[in-house]
Amino acid sequence: MSDTPEFRDLVGDDLTPEEELELARVDSLLRSVPGPATEVPGSLTRAVEQIGTATPIWTRRRFLAAVALAATLAALFFGVGRWAGQGFDARATVQMTPGKNAPEARGKIELGPRDGATGNWKMRLVVDGLPHLGGTDYYVLWLAKDGQYAGACGTFNVDGRTTVEMTASYDLSEYDAWVISRAEPDAPWLLSAET
Amino acid sequence: MATAENDSRLIERVGRGDREAFEQLYKRFARPVFAMALRQLGDNGRAEDAAQETFAAVWRSAKSYKAERGTASAWLYAVARHAIIDRARQKRENAVEVPEEADTRAGPVERAEESWLTWRVHSALELLPERERVVIELAYWSGLSQTEIASYLDVPLGTVKTRTRTGLARLSGVLEEVRT
Repeated sequence: MSDTPEFRDLVGDDLTPEEELELARVDSLLRSVPGPATEVPGSLTRAVEQIGTATPIWTRRRFLAAVALAATLAALFFGVGRWAGQGFDARATVQMTPGKNAPEARGKIELGPRDGATGNWKMRLVVDGLPHLGGTDYYVLWLAKDGQYAGACGTFNVDGRTTVEMTASYDLSEYDAWVISRAEPDAPWLLSAET
Repeated sequence: MATAENDSRLIERVGRGDREAFEQLYKRFARPVFAMALRQLGDNGRAEDAAQETFAAVWRSAKSYKAERGTASAWLYAVARHAIIDRARQKRENAVEVPEEADTRAGPVERAEESWLTWRVHSALELLPERERVVIELAYWSGLSQTEIASYLDVPLGTVKTRTRTGLARLSGVLEEVRT
């Protein structure tokens, strides 16, 4: 191993003065910059392949951040427990469409009023036809934009027909779809609906 | 050989939702984007995230690209730089403590110029035929001698020199083309 070879060692010494000037300029440029990446990680290529398709984009960091956000929202909801035992004031209902990975699934999202003080939307999710997940697995309700994951609204598991109440603090007009998937990288969309 | 003009057409096609064009653009710029992110963030995971953000932003905003406002390479560089700065900012916000010491590195203007120059060189390398690109990368950044490169690639020494000369000449033309 040695340093970068001398210019003449690289190109030989039978160049015309014009060629030598042109190549020496590029040689000098190459010596002044760091080397390029040796290779692009396969995980990056796989993630970029999902861009623009009907699958949410997951990165390691986004996945962790989304799960943390969902856990925070869930903790907030269960901690406050304001709706426990109360009727739900649904102002709009969004029917969800099953994806090819869960053709038997059904779901709807009932949107309640937006809390004037906090800006949180109250939501009630009703799902049926999804399998119960064992161990530490669970589902996530997302908001998506341009076919990509954009924000997590909450996590849940199911046991037959299941009703889950959640909150979301997002401006819903900025998103174009609701999506349910399992909480794992590269999970396909199971149910979706336009916002 | 692909040219800067072709890159413009690719971005315009991406703006119309053309996935094939998007894949071509990714193949062409994945290494320069990832290399720049890795150099500036110093961490594989963050660099990967920034590169992914870059291509997601390209897909979302390609329709806003106007060829008359600048080269495709410059537009992509700006998109990548924005994604990388976002990642770097998050890192700073997450930092608990910043050590107080004098910054002896080049100033922001110099660093930006170096970054743009490196981007141009790396992007231009992607336009070379594989056999020439490999020889040039080995010659300039592997620390191997010409003889060692010939042995490594299992080709005669004369072939290594010919490919180096041809590659450098081609690179000169490409760098002239993408110059803003």
